[in-house]
Amino acid sequence: MNATTVETGNEQIVSVIVTALEEVLRQELTDITVETRLFDDLNLDSTSVLALLMTLEDALDTQVDPESLEQAHLESVGSLAAFLAESR
Amino acid sequence: MSPPDPTFLQGVKSACTGATGTPFVLLGNFEVEDEWARDEVGLPVFGGRASTAIVNRMDEFTVLLAGPGDHVVLKSAPDSDYLNYLRQLGIELPGILLTDEHDPAATVSEDALRSPRLLAALRSLAGQGAYLLPHGMSVLEQQLCELTGLAPALPAVSVVKAVNSKIYSRRVATDLGLPQAVGWECETVDEFVAAAGEAARAVAAGRRVGVKDAYGVSGKGIMVVDDLRRMDQLVRMVTRRAERTGDQRVALVIEEWADKALDLNYHFTVARDGSVRFDFVKEALTENGVHKGHRFPARLSTEHAAQLVVASERLGARLAADGFHGVVGVDAITTTDGGLLPVLEINARNNMSTYQTGLQERFMGPDSVALARQYDLRLTGPVTFAGLADRLGDLLFDRERGTGLVVNNFATVNAATPEPGDTRPYVGRLYGLLLARTQQELTDLDNAVVAAVQKETVHV
Repeated sequence: MNATTVETGNEQIVSVIVTALEEVLRQELTDITVETRLFDDLNLDSTSVLALLMTLEDALDTQVDPESLEQAHLESVGSLAAFLAESR
Repeated sequence: MSPPDPTFLQGVKSACTGATGTPFVLLGNFEVEDEWARDEVGLPVFGGRASTAIVNRMDEFTVLLAGPGDHVVLKSAPDSDYLNYLRQLGIELPGILLTDEHDPAATVSEDALRSPRLLAALRSLAGQGAYLLPHGMSVLEQQLCELTGLAPALPAVSVVKAVNSKIYSRRVATDLGLPQAVGWECETVDEFVAAAGEAARAVAAGRRVGVKDAYGVSGKGIMVVDDLRRMDQLVRMVTRRAERTGDQRVALVIEEWADKALDLNYHFTVARDGSVRFDFVKEALTENGVHKGHRFPARLSTEHAAQLVVASERLGARLAADGFHGVVGVDAITTTDGGLLPVLEINARNNMSTYQTGLQERFMGPDSVALARQYDLRLTGPVTFAGLADRLGDLLFDRERGTGLVVNNFATVNAATPEPGDTRPYVGRLYGLLLARTQQELTDLDNAVVAAVQKETVHV
């Protein structure tokens, strides 16, 4: 795991997201940055996003309301981190 | 090879309109489930820009299902070299109508409804007796019929939607005594909570269960649960939503996961008079529950094949009694203990396998084996069909040889091309039907195509 977390202010959340992504995708992820795109770069699909959200709920001890999650929030690791930071 | 008489499509025309020669307007509104699910409460669905754009360009599959007397509605014009390639294969193409505008985020039906020029052309075809055959019938296609006067080839939306619910599939299988996985149909939050409690016992005993949206499409609205914590989370998510909205309805199914040997897709056509035509059975290729293609003929015992024919007759009769006519695909599996579960879900709409029928009839001989599949591409810029054909060379299907790859959708390759100025790599999808004489030849051909298309693109 080697997440670049510059300038997000959400370093801890980014780190948790990368670990959750590794769990959901069942592979080690290298060179993940806040700009890494969830669908376009990591090939997540709808089902894996749902699994990711549940894994993140556990890891961050928070609740995510799926209906408040818009496509833009799932654009990249950074945008998801910002959404999670705001909803905590 | 000459296509059979009547062809698959002529049979559909006869079943849906009473005459084999009825002109059709075909509309490839893939993932019509999203429309059916609009008023339902299932599992949340998430989609990226690129996958939505690609699914919306699956509309081009209709070109190879329609006949020369038919029309198809597409979101944008096919690559002219692609059309020439199809003509060179001896395929008689349908008339191609385009929506006035093309929004990559919109389905072909949404684009069609805001296309005055297209609607005028469709009105003219309606005057000549054409019927609309959509991929599946939802309120959007019904509106299109109302706006243009095209007669719908399929029944009313309420009927089509009802028979496409996974809850309906399970209840019909129960009524008909067809074997199915242990499971529960849930229409209220209370029913879901109770079913989740039962399913948790299976999970605790080491089995896996699937929680499915009643209107989920391949790869969406499904969660495989193999630990209790995940089941608890799902229950909390469903109950939280109900508390927030005050809506106690859900449309969900929970099923124990059977030990699968083979995924199958079988297909039949129900006529307005209630008669049922069995069409075919194919192996379905799936990856983590997501549809990836078909292999046929299916490597299936005669006994299981016969059971599917009987299941088709019984399911078809039931669908007809419930007011449905049209094509139906059913997902089934054989199990590792030698059993057959003939009804995983009923899809009373066109299936991916439906769109292969024209090529099958034209190019598959008695000794052919076929693989229909998708190649996921990673692109740095638009690809032309001519460029791709150069790259594939002799791997493309040759009529004399009777083997090779037939591209059956090219629009999905460039569907997700980003806005100018965005230089980041993006995804594309190439669909093809591979024909060979032996399984080994088929595997070799597939591997060679993978190598060729990866050279064309940036390797993931």
